[in-house]
Amino acid sequence: MTFAWKAAGLTYNRYLAVAARVVRRSLKEDKRLAAERRGQQDLKFAKWSNGKQGDVKNLADANAEAAVESAAAGGAQ
Amino acid sequence: MNSLRIARAALRARPATLCATVQRRGYAEAVSDKIKLSLSLPHQSIYRSHDAVQVNIPAESGEMGVLANHVPSIEQLKPGVVEIMEENGSTKRFFLSGGFAVVQPKSALSINAVEGFPLEDFSIDAVRAQIAEAQKVANGNGSEQDIAEAKIELEVLESLQAALK
Repeated sequence: MTFAWKAAGLTYNRYLAVAARVVRRSLKEDKRLAAERRGQQDLKFAKWSNGKQGDVKNLADANAEAAVESAAAGGAQ
Repeated sequence: MNSLRIARAALRARPATLCATVQRRGYAEAVSDKIKLSLSLPHQSIYRSHDAVQVNIPAESGEMGVLANHVPSIEQLKPGVVEIMEENGSTKRFFLSGGFAVVQPKSALSINAVEGFPLEDFSIDAVRAQIAEAQKVANGNGSEQDIAEAKIELEVLESLQAALK
């Protein structure tokens, strides 16, 4: 069983995040405002090598790049 | 003298163990027709070992109903409605965004999802507006990933729209 999102390089984790985001946006106004706060993510990371810190990257951007690379490599991961 | 004391202790212990097995059997018969349902989200547990008669889940392999003493299995869930049939005959319906259901031995059922809400918490107008938007992205000429995400959204929204009708 191959899913279309998998062929586009998305991970199951990303699939769940997208599905959860759209469910939160479909709620009635009062519940939606409380729920949407849960979807916010702002995480940065840097790779260290030879005792030096590399570029600080945003995790969401890095994941999106990884998806593009994975799709180019045939979607298998 | 010492061995005599041990023998006497063993004699005394035997009737107690016999009683215990008889009691255990009676208890198992009394609870065997209910499912112990646990419905958990990362931020909230909706049910914790809640007694239910039947639970219908939208598994990726098809809709399935789980009764007591079901064969243990693990099912990936589609975004869809979980129906919980209570002992008093009422039915509760939750829309889950996708996750896993684990049928465990001894009639325990654990359902894990990222988001789950009762159907009355959703706004049909918000769903319709998002379907139009997602269709535009899915048929547009964005990146492969944007189109894939829009298609995931459409799958969720169409399931949600069908559930709200």
